[in-house]
Amino acid sequence: MTILSIRDLSVNYATQDGTVQAVDGVSLDLEEGQRLGLIGESGCGKTTLLKAIVQVLPRNGRIAGGKILFKGMDLLQLPAAEMRQLRWREIATIPQASMDSLNPVQRVGSQLTKLLRVRGGYSKKAALKRAADLFDLVGLDTERLTHYPHEFSGGMKQRAVIAMALALEPSLLIADEPVTALDVIVQHQILEVLRELEQELNLTVMLITHDISVVAQVCDSVSVMYAGRIVEQAAAEPFFSSPAHPYSLGLQQAFPNLARPRDVLVSIEGYPPDLREPPSGCRFAERCPFVQEACHDIDPKLEAIGDGRAAACLRSNEMDVLRVQSEDPSLWQRVEVAQGLSLAEDGQPPPKSPPIAMKGDLDAPLPATISAETPPSPSQWGEVDDAPLLELQNVSKRFKIGGGLAGLLRGDKEQTVYAVNNISFSLKRGESLGLAGESGCGKSTTGKLLVKLIDASDGEIIFDGADLAGMDDDSLLTFRSRVQLMFQNPFEALNPRFTLYRSLTEPLIIHGWKDENKRLDRVIETLDRVNLRPAEVFLDKYPHQLSGGQLQRVVLARALVLHPDFLVADEPVSMLDVSVRAGILNTTRRLARELGLATVYISHDLSLLQYTCDRIAIMYLGEIVEIGPSDQVINNPQHPYTKALIAAVPVPDPTIENPPLRIQEGIPRPTEQFIGCPFAQRCPDAMEACLTVRPPQITDENEHTAQCHLYGEHRDSPKLERQLP
Amino acid sequence: MQQDAMAREGQSGKPTARFRQGSAIRQLWETNLEVFQRDKMALFGLLIFAVFALVAILAPQIAPNDPLNPLKNNNGDWIKDAMPYWLAEPGEDEAEGYTNTFLLGTTNIGRDIYSQLIHGSRSALLVGFSAAAAVAVIGTVIGLLAGYYGGWVDTILMRAADVAFGIPFIPFIIVISAFFDPSIWNVVIAMALLLWRDTGRVIRSQVLVIKEQAFVSAARVSGASDLRIIFVYIAPSILPLSFLYGSFAIAWAILTEASVSFLGFSDPETISWGYMLQDAFNSLALSREAFYWIVPPGLCIMLTVMAGFFIGRGYEEVLFPRLRRM
Repeated sequence: MTILSIRDLSVNYATQDGTVQAVDGVSLDLEEGQRLGLIGESGCGKTTLLKAIVQVLPRNGRIAGGKILFKGMDLLQLPAAEMRQLRWREIATIPQASMDSLNPVQRVGSQLTKLLRVRGGYSKKAALKRAADLFDLVGLDTERLTHYPHEFSGGMKQRAVIAMALALEPSLLIADEPVTALDVIVQHQILEVLRELEQELNLTVMLITHDISVVAQVCDSVSVMYAGRIVEQAAAEPFFSSPAHPYSLGLQQAFPNLARPRDVLVSIEGYPPDLREPPSGCRFAERCPFVQEACHDIDPKLEAIGDGRAAACLRSNEMDVLRVQSEDPSLWQRVEVAQGLSLAEDGQPPPKSPPIAMKGDLDAPLPATISAETPPSPSQWGEVDDAPLLELQNVSKRFKIGGGLAGLLRGDKEQTVYAVNNISFSLKRGESLGLAGESGCGKSTTGKLLVKLIDASDGEIIFDGADLAGMDDDSLLTFRSRVQLMFQNPFEALNPRFTLYRSLTEPLIIHGWKDENKRLDRVIETLDRVNLRPAEVFLDKYPHQLSGGQLQRVVLARALVLHPDFLVADEPVSMLDVSVRAGILNTTRRLARELGLATVYISHDLSLLQYTCDRIAIMYLGEIVEIGPSDQVINNPQHPYTKALIAAVPVPDPTIENPPLRIQEGIPRPTEQFIGCPFAQRCPDAMEACLTVRPPQITDENEHTAQCHLYGEHRDSPKLERQLP
Repeated sequence: MQQDAMAREGQSGKPTARFRQGSAIRQLWETNLEVFQRDKMALFGLLIFAVFALVAILAPQIAPNDPLNPLKNNNGDWIKDAMPYWLAEPGEDEAEGYTNTFLLGTTNIGRDIYSQLIHGSRSALLVGFSAAAAVAVIGTVIGLLAGYYGGWVDTILMRAADVAFGIPFIPFIIVISAFFDPSIWNVVIAMALLLWRDTGRVIRSQVLVIKEQAFVSAARVSGASDLRIIFVYIAPSILPLSFLYGSFAIAWAILTEASVSFLGFSDPETISWGYMLQDAFNSLALSREAFYWIVPPGLCIMLTVMAGFFIGRGYEEVLFPRLRRM
């Protein structure tokens, strides 16, 4: 039975600058029990579609045409009162960031029972029982019913929100980005809950997300949206094995995949068209590597291409050939003119012979294509040698919280947070290291320590022979010119009141570059290096005039303008759209190789680190529990925590089932010092020795180190009896 | 050399160095322009200030008589309580032995009210602008230091602000007046000593937000000194807030000066609108229905105070766009 049937739906937003056609002629069918994934980059109309279905469009939004049939009723003709009855009871939604929508001053259980009693007509007693059942269903302890939202972790709140959405037994559940912003382990568990629920309740689900790996894990069919249109519809397996639209091809190749790592990720260059005046031809033509003359004139309709699949592409009959061609990343590399700015982005591979020879790097297969434009040769970058550029020895960082005068008056006890706890590693010139771990594991604090934004409480950080702790003003200034930081949020990383030229020239002014012309030359050279071309176009711009991807390139340029030796990149692409992520990563990776730059990448995304880094370090509660060459850590993880993290990463391939996750969510607060292993509380393989003896660091012949008793002298210690999820 | 470089840039079509800077000052100027372009009330406020400023500067030229010296008739007696010429009975002045040319009449000791009104604008604007400047500058600097450095600096400065909040304002001025000779500067000193507290706190909270933004960390990683970060990166972002509090402070200062003068703690040698009101009050002008003595200084106070608030509101609307909808 068809539950939801959307026909030719169009939604417009009236704005000051004209009418935006956010959704344009979308048709969609949802059968009972179907699990549809709706994917596309931000601004493509996914959320607008959701809002149109439940009719909660903002005031300037208007449905310009089409029908939405829900179980045969036309929702657009339904009186407001009846529509209100339908919402939640028949069509339940989990809106974006809904875990923050729980009322903070009411117990979660009473919010749930109130809903059941008011909307579901339950008696007080029945509501309580139903609430307990629902908590069971989503895997929450029923004792939690009496807790307030602040006592819940992020994952628990999301479970509670799912329980509320399901409370009135809806026949359709629409979830908008239900796992975005959650830690990878929590994300895995929420997806698990969703999957189980679908099977148990035979729920019809529409999942809206930008993350194709989430769709691969949960959905049985896929619709791809682009610029307000649906460009491809297919069942999940054929979609992932043989996508039938160039945009889908690009999306898939833009995603790093732990199971099938790529040498070079593609970046879909350019930007979606302006929906106030959509192009008359294909909307993807501007960014499509397979564009033909006709694409600019003929607007392709979504047409069946066999197997119950449909694609809106003029060349869909040639797709088998194009699919093979699309594997070549240089194909996606194009010069774009967008928003009046001319720029060249790169999906380009690193040059054939990197000037810096690195261990493990020479064997890496390098794609055949070389970028047409060779950037200027590095001028004053450092020489190659084998001595470590950076060395950390037993570094710790402690923060005191709850102290001070106010804490004293309130009677709070001062607590110590062990943000970074006794870590050691070293980094050579030209080498890249990834720091990974759940949020709160101390990876960002480590990043700040490395660039001396904060000082270590204990231990030594040696940069090129100099201890960071005892620097005088002069050597600190030199250090500042050699070490740079790249930030997570490009929209905040540049002073909104400075032009890009001013932002880029500031570091040079600070370091005593008196000659305006030399500064200008250096700024232009650096902009060119990060592929913002022609550089002159960007000099006068203010940050708000650029897109996120361009801004992140400027942030990278500012970091490189002083020709540093060492770069720390803190979640460099997590705020960007998938389609431009690869471009930033490729540029950073290529420049690091060309310039012999040592890099530390900080990210929660292991597949990204595998793509960019020579070595990966896994952090847990301020400690490095495993460190080694990237392929070793990913393919042959030693520490149980690393194994869990890898198991939790969703793979963008429905044929690959993730192994069961054997640990619970929730990092304990790092306010105690552990006698034994900090991970013992959550470890599925914990032994008695783990609670009492500090685990040893075991290194194998590949310089792959794990800090775990499983491989040490206590390996035969009796296992702890404990319940696993 | 420099010129050559500029010329070369010009030829190759590169934007010139000056244009590229995008200085904070220029942005600030644009913000200020935006305030007065967007908000006609703010422009009206500015106009009021401009008119009063002109009057204050040209006061000796405009004022027909000396504001302090009593006017005398042909017999050498003071021309007491003369009505404005447009109200007075015709012929009364000749009978008393003088020519009534007084726009707003005279006081009970024969001073020309109109001249007093004109000279009053001098002290009003002097007090208003100097107190506002003092409040804005002190508050901004304290807010910047407390917010940026945090820790003990913050604790000391903000506890000092708490103390300043605890001191009642008018009594404080009366005490100050007791220590110094009566003068309009007492009001300025008192405001500078106490009213930085509001500005300081607001600016501090704004600095706390801005200094956490990544571009400030970026500046530090590039090696920028604390002073450079405070004055090049943070200050330009909070200056519109200083202007906002400064324009409110103008209004407060004028109002306060009027109150203090009305209470009789002002310098009898300096004419101010508050002093005029007190003079009128003490001479029972109210009972004689001498509205021409009471209403004009009251109107002037109201206009200048209103001008300050109009301008302040203009800044608020630009700074906090959400207010526009209200």
